[in-house]
Amino acid sequence: MIFQTIITGLSIGSIYALMAVGYSLVFSVLNFSNFAHGAVITLGAYIAWALMVSVFKMSFFPALLLSMLGAGIIAFFVERIAYSTLRHRRAPSLFLMISAMGVAIALQNVLYATVGANLYALPPIFTQDTFSIGAATISRMDIFAFVFSVIAIALLTIVLNYTKVGTAIRAASYDSEMVSVLGVNLDVLVAVLFLLAGSLGGMAGVFMGIKYMVYPSMGWITNKAYIGAVIGGLGSLPGAIVGGILLGLLESLVSVTVIGSVHLSTFRDVFSFGILVLLLVFRPTGLFGRHVEEKL
Amino acid sequence: MQYAQAIFTNAAIYVIAALGLAIFTGHTGLFSLGHAAFMAVGGYAAAILTYFLGWSLIPALAVGVVAAVLVSLVIGYPTLRAKLRSDYFAIATLGFGEAVKVLLENLQLTQASRGLPGIEKLAGPLNTAVFLIITVVLCRNFLNSTYGRKIIAIGQDPVAAEMIGIKLLPNQVLSLAISAAFSGLSGGLLAHYITFIQPAIFSMDLSSLLTAGVVAGGMGSLTGPIVAIALFIVIPELFRGLALWRLVLYGVVLVIIINFRPKGLFGYEELNFDNLPKLFTIIGLTIGLTIAASLAKMFSATLGRVPAILIAALVALALTVALGYLGKLLAKWLRSPFGSFGQMLGSGYNHIVQTLQDKAVCFRNRDLPKLRELMNMVVEPSRMVSAQNSRKEPVLSIKSLSKRFGGVVAVDEFDLDVYEGELVGLIGPNGSGKTTVFNLISGYYPVSGGTITYRGEDLTKKAPTAIVLGGISRTFQNIRLFSSMTVLQNVTTALHDASNYSLLEAFVQWPWTVRATEERLKETAMELLKLVELEEYADRVANTLPYGLQRKLEIARALALRPRLLMLDEPAAGMNPQESQELVELIRRIHVAKDLTILLIEHHMDVVMNLCQRIAVINFGKKIAEGAPEQIQNDPLVLEAYLGEKVEDVVAS
Repeated sequence: MIFQTIITGLSIGSIYALMAVGYSLVFSVLNFSNFAHGAVITLGAYIAWALMVSVFKMSFFPALLLSMLGAGIIAFFVERIAYSTLRHRRAPSLFLMISAMGVAIALQNVLYATVGANLYALPPIFTQDTFSIGAATISRMDIFAFVFSVIAIALLTIVLNYTKVGTAIRAASYDSEMVSVLGVNLDVLVAVLFLLAGSLGGMAGVFMGIKYMVYPSMGWITNKAYIGAVIGGLGSLPGAIVGGILLGLLESLVSVTVIGSVHLSTFRDVFSFGILVLLLVFRPTGLFGRHVEEKL
Repeated sequence: MQYAQAIFTNAAIYVIAALGLAIFTGHTGLFSLGHAAFMAVGGYAAAILTYFLGWSLIPALAVGVVAAVLVSLVIGYPTLRAKLRSDYFAIATLGFGEAVKVLLENLQLTQASRGLPGIEKLAGPLNTAVFLIITVVLCRNFLNSTYGRKIIAIGQDPVAAEMIGIKLLPNQVLSLAISAAFSGLSGGLLAHYITFIQPAIFSMDLSSLLTAGVVAGGMGSLTGPIVAIALFIVIPELFRGLALWRLVLYGVVLVIIINFRPKGLFGYEELNFDNLPKLFTIIGLTIGLTIAASLAKMFSATLGRVPAILIAALVALALTVALGYLGKLLAKWLRSPFGSFGQMLGSGYNHIVQTLQDKAVCFRNRDLPKLRELMNMVVEPSRMVSAQNSRKEPVLSIKSLSKRFGGVVAVDEFDLDVYEGELVGLIGPNGSGKTTVFNLISGYYPVSGGTITYRGEDLTKKAPTAIVLGGISRTFQNIRLFSSMTVLQNVTTALHDASNYSLLEAFVQWPWTVRATEERLKETAMELLKLVELEEYADRVANTLPYGLQRKLEIARALALRPRLLMLDEPAAGMNPQESQELVELIRRIHVAKDLTILLIEHHMDVVMNLCQRIAVINFGKKIAEGAPEQIQNDPLVLEAYLGEKVEDVVAS
């Protein structure tokens, strides 16, 4: 029973982590919470749906890669349209966040207005979806999502630590002004940043679509990923990973807990948002974050 | 007609909630992204009472409002106390909003996500309109009172607000509570108008609609959010088939406004004759677009698509321009009759108040002792004995004061005594720790060591607001005015401590208490402005004043706090010789007229040497010299600190 819970927790947690990394990447350099990330993830899932189901009948891997690319490009354009003016004007981070909210509302509702509110399924990757270890029934998709998320995050870590662009991004997370004085084109750097964050988000979107369904408000789930990023400490990559997985585990534990005759599963989301509020009040830096004073 | 009524009622209900949000977000500058939760609480509380217990509308709404206020205190107190980064605060409210929604989705009492269907239709266009008017009046009254000004001041510059004695936390919590009250009212009306209530109504989309209304309408304004929300609700209704695109519109508008016009439509202004044309243009654009849409449809069958759209666009443009022009004309025609009508009303009103006051004691003006005291200081020449006689006990006594920032020692074992009525200068090279000393005295920084005693009281343990209200006020090196307020409002805001009407009275604005007090606050503020020779600029917005005048305004604002010790931080910075000469005269004048003790930081040596009876010199946080101006001018240590040379070298050359 507990083993089953942990597996479920890990698999949803790894998808949270994949999304949380996108939040933290952007936060580390631009110091704001990019609430449009959820919409980018949703669009990634819709691209996969278009490629695999509605328009073309592509197989999984090419569709996954193209969805990641598509989501990355969308994230790039979102930055160009909604953030770059504010960034150049050095507006307070709150302004960027409001702008991001606007983008999120607009994109999500463009989907409602065009594709519609229907739920669509993405084709399963494995025909026989579950296998058992002892008493636990484990979904192959869960394992697959977990492994793939780990690989993607590992690749990202390599990019950040061993490439020139990665070094520049890490440097910019400490002092973006200094980085631009040293001759790095900040606009290019931010573009790369959004491409990376967007494509990881696209991947998460595809996994979410396969695990659940594809629908316009599926981006709501990214609020959870955001909570994961806050638990780990906004702006910290290891924090986002640990926070995302931790939240996944906590949620699945809460879901199976029964106190008296009350099943806590119904209050799982209350619990998660409660954690968010409490953390922001008592420990806004999370587990690994460094405290960044607001740029005003 | 029924359709128009429905649109109106819908819009009015959301406008009430948006006005609530405008009181909080629009005026404190703190973003709440969870206001839908307050609507939910108010709506559910009211709906449960009418649905299960058969209460009538008004008491049910009242309970809903109270419930929303209580919830706002529970969430507001801890989050505001933590002084979060502004975006973290916004996210915390978002989390709160989602938590409330998810909770409602799972509660049995509220029938989970099914909600309460078939609530009696108790709200309609009529009573909603009444509630809307009440809301507008109450919000306006509140903002035009001492309480409202405190909140506006915090929104414009929290540091300056605290330094004029306004406590941040209670006022921010108050503004959130008021805001939640109106949101709760709106939620209650909504439930009884659409006759059902469900958690899904109070989603993040609703919170974002309200936020979009306040941002697009303009921060610091009530007119703005009303216009913006009305447009948000009305425009999609006018274009049939656009309903699905409604939320896309909010999103896009939010992005455009925040990127290109952060001030919004009516930022920091209310409707008046100057912006009437703007309002008419907006209305014209809305009507124009509506007509254009149906025209385009009509003509595209006969003329083809492109010419039809062209014609429609032209019509829309023409209507916009025409209505804008009409607005201009109306403003021109109405301005003078309206003005005299207002004057007539005003004098009639005053007459009635006067008669009431003559007839009954309870309507008499209240005594405002603090204001009277201030007026006496400003208007009458000094009555007290001058400084020289009372040189026994120091007023302010600083002993081995230290302040460390990490490894940097900004102030190091600093001592200074200031006596009653003295004018003491504090000078030193850049970065020597002068302003830090001021920040320590005013309680802005906690001290690392040493004591500051003011009239026998230890200041190091007092809150900044208590220190200010205890009689020590200050100005700032880099001007910190409430920049969107007028010059007069900057000073009246600082008189907050002298007014004595209650919050309830502020909402109702009884003429014999609130209006009368406000009049006297204004008179006093004008006297202070006269003292610094700014009376002709009273109605100018503060940040449009030239630099030198802004510094004078800061002095007037500091004087409004009835200080016994005034700390001026580089009042002559950026002034030319003539201006600084005038400033010297001004400081002399207030020194005598208000019988003040003054501590002055200044780089202009002519100002310091002219004014100060005694000068202390600080370098690297340590006091290196103290004495009369002539003494200081010849002190070798001081010369070294300023010129960076050994005295022998200077003498040798």
